[in-house]
Amino acid sequence: MTGRVSLARKNLFQDRRRAAMAISGVGAALLLVLVLDGVVAGAMRSVTAYMRTSPADVFISQEDVRTLHMSQSVLPPETVEAARLVHGVAWVEGLRYTSSIVEAPGGGRRFTYVLGYETATGRGGPRRITDGRPPGPAEALVDATAAGELGIDVGDTVVVLGQPFSVSGLSSNGTNIVNTTVFVRSEDFARLRGPSIAYVLVGAEPGVSATELTRRLDESLSGVTVQTRAEFARQEAKLVNDMAADVMRIMSIIGFLIALAVVALTLLTATLGKLREYGVVKALGASSGRLAVIVAAQAGWSVGLGLVVAVGLALVTGAAISALTPNLDIVIGVRSVVRTGLGALVIGAFAAMVPLRRVMTVDPATAFRRP
Amino acid sequence: MHGTVPLARRNLLDEPRRLLVAAAGVGLAVMLILVLDGLWAGIRAGVTVYEDNVGADLYVAQAGTYNFYGASSRIPASTVDVVSGDPDVEWAVPVRAFFSIVDLHDRKVPVVVIGSVPGQRGGPWELASGSVPASDDQVVVGRVLARRHNLDIGDSIDLMGRRFTIVGTGSDAFMASFVFMTHTATDELLAAPATTSFVLVRTARPDAVRTRLEGGGYAVLDRDQLAVNDFELIARAYAVPMRFMTGVAFVIGSLVIALSAYSAIADRRREYGIVKAIGGHGRYLLGLAVRQTMMIAAAGLLAGAVMFLAGRSVITWVRPQFTVVTTGTSLARALGAAIIMGAFAAVFPARRLARLEPASAYRGG
Repeated sequence: MTGRVSLARKNLFQDRRRAAMAISGVGAALLLVLVLDGVVAGAMRSVTAYMRTSPADVFISQEDVRTLHMSQSVLPPETVEAARLVHGVAWVEGLRYTSSIVEAPGGGRRFTYVLGYETATGRGGPRRITDGRPPGPAEALVDATAAGELGIDVGDTVVVLGQPFSVSGLSSNGTNIVNTTVFVRSEDFARLRGPSIAYVLVGAEPGVSATELTRRLDESLSGVTVQTRAEFARQEAKLVNDMAADVMRIMSIIGFLIALAVVALTLLTATLGKLREYGVVKALGASSGRLAVIVAAQAGWSVGLGLVVAVGLALVTGAAISALTPNLDIVIGVRSVVRTGLGALVIGAFAAMVPLRRVMTVDPATAFRRP
Repeated sequence: MHGTVPLARRNLLDEPRRLLVAAAGVGLAVMLILVLDGLWAGIRAGVTVYEDNVGADLYVAQAGTYNFYGASSRIPASTVDVVSGDPDVEWAVPVRAFFSIVDLHDRKVPVVVIGSVPGQRGGPWELASGSVPASDDQVVVGRVLARRHNLDIGDSIDLMGRRFTIVGTGSDAFMASFVFMTHTATDELLAAPATTSFVLVRTARPDAVRTRLEGGGYAVLDRDQLAVNDFELIARAYAVPMRFMTGVAFVIGSLVIALSAYSAIADRRREYGIVKAIGGHGRYLLGLAVRQTMMIAAAGLLAGAVMFLAGRSVITWVRPQFTVVTTGTSLARALGAAIIMGAFAAVFPARRLARLEPASAYRGG
């Protein structure tokens, strides 16, 4: 037996139902922040999947164009040959790209990126074909997630860019919160949209770093933006982050304010019902600082357990939402949990101030009064 | 003398600070529901801002086009002549539209580039300042974009490898600003001469014109079709997270009400024990619990409405790209949510009261 009594914990958990409601409330408020963060993190992961998994070391795009999502990039076809001449280049390949609608035989539609790539090398195509084979003439690869949602099977005919394409296979990792991905042969793309290309994918010779190759290409080519694969992915993630940042900030502030109100209410109710006990503690000689520590510890317990509940719920609801909505990837990362935890500690400190004055001013004589 | 005591009200008001904090908690949850509803309504209203202002009845595009935003329709510029040749067409103009990303102050800013022929419809329909683009290196930017990034008339903006001079400020789309320029400038940006995205059509007989043009292999859309399709495109990205947040806000509101009413009852269990000891029956006690939760819900609703008005002003002032629209439906939903929260929240305090022993009236704290 230690001889010490954790007043904060006993005070908070004496009425388990009340404690459960309080911690659930704090947890739900923090859940808002965590899941919203998870939606953005998931969107960043899925939107950058194409460039992150590309075999290219360097991407070339139109000047001032640094992203793929919501972007238009137009390069003359000669850019491919010009890049090939640069020292340290192992291979070069043009990628054609636009946004469109893919229309399923059943009438379902999805917003899609259409990528025209060289099927002979497959470098600009999907990293994994889960079913079927690369596209031949007038054929297309549809992402498996979108195909599942739209009821598309290999062999079906879909309409892309206003033209019918037979589905030769299904690819993976190409569907995100906004759109899916359809791959067609570069020649088919050019036939429909003209000879220009959108991006040039470049592979480095052994011993040449992506950064060095980027520098050389940048010096040799004009009117283009040259980026390493990592930088291209970073710019793409930044786009998602910048677009979501304002909504995130608004919702996070509201989420934290709600958590603040719930923690304050929890501490207030836990204090008001126990004023007599605080009086006893004070009559026994506890200083005001000691009472403040008890209130702070209650705040710590509330936000700590609330955070645990929030993380647990976020993992469960995140998985459930992703399972029910395959295009929505929710990633609950450690950084997000730490950030939310730090925010929760700050609101816990603020919330502790609400009942603090009441505790400080409690009269020790309360201990001897009949409730 | 009135024979009844407003026990629920007195119990709640006995500790006004608790009621205030509870009202704030519920109010924030109600505010969140109203903000989400308002943003949703704002998206719906903002998605057709272009179509609502350019005065076209029909939009002729490449077959397989369903949207105005994000569509990659590309049709020959000569389509304008084909469409103009229809006897029921009042006017027909080419318009290019596409998304682009501009880097400003280390932020990626999405814009909707609109290319139109100077002097024809399809370009900026209103100007906050300046003039319409007269040459291929001039643009009109949305006033929100201009304000957020301190852009003035005479400043320049880099887009897809070209530098443009800002000659005016105009309208914005939802969460993105329009950048209006000449059609020729967009031809050069996309290296797509002699093409366009849409032909805007004004006609008194849209059905007849549509039938004839569709026969020519074009997609022909009207404002309502574009509104539905564009909204679906945006809704697909936002619907699930927004529904989730509304659901969580509802749960939080219910929990705050329940916690507050439950605590108010638990802290006064001796008094409620007396009520039970002198004959307060189950239905009366249930009524007490419901009255308390409903009062907290009402206070929360009121607080939520005030917070929403304040929050909406702050949001639209700090982030003018957001439109938060208040509709009768959203207010009714908030009212309904508060009532249901109050009803749900009554469960815990009611059970606490039901289990209360009359003997607790004689026990100490």
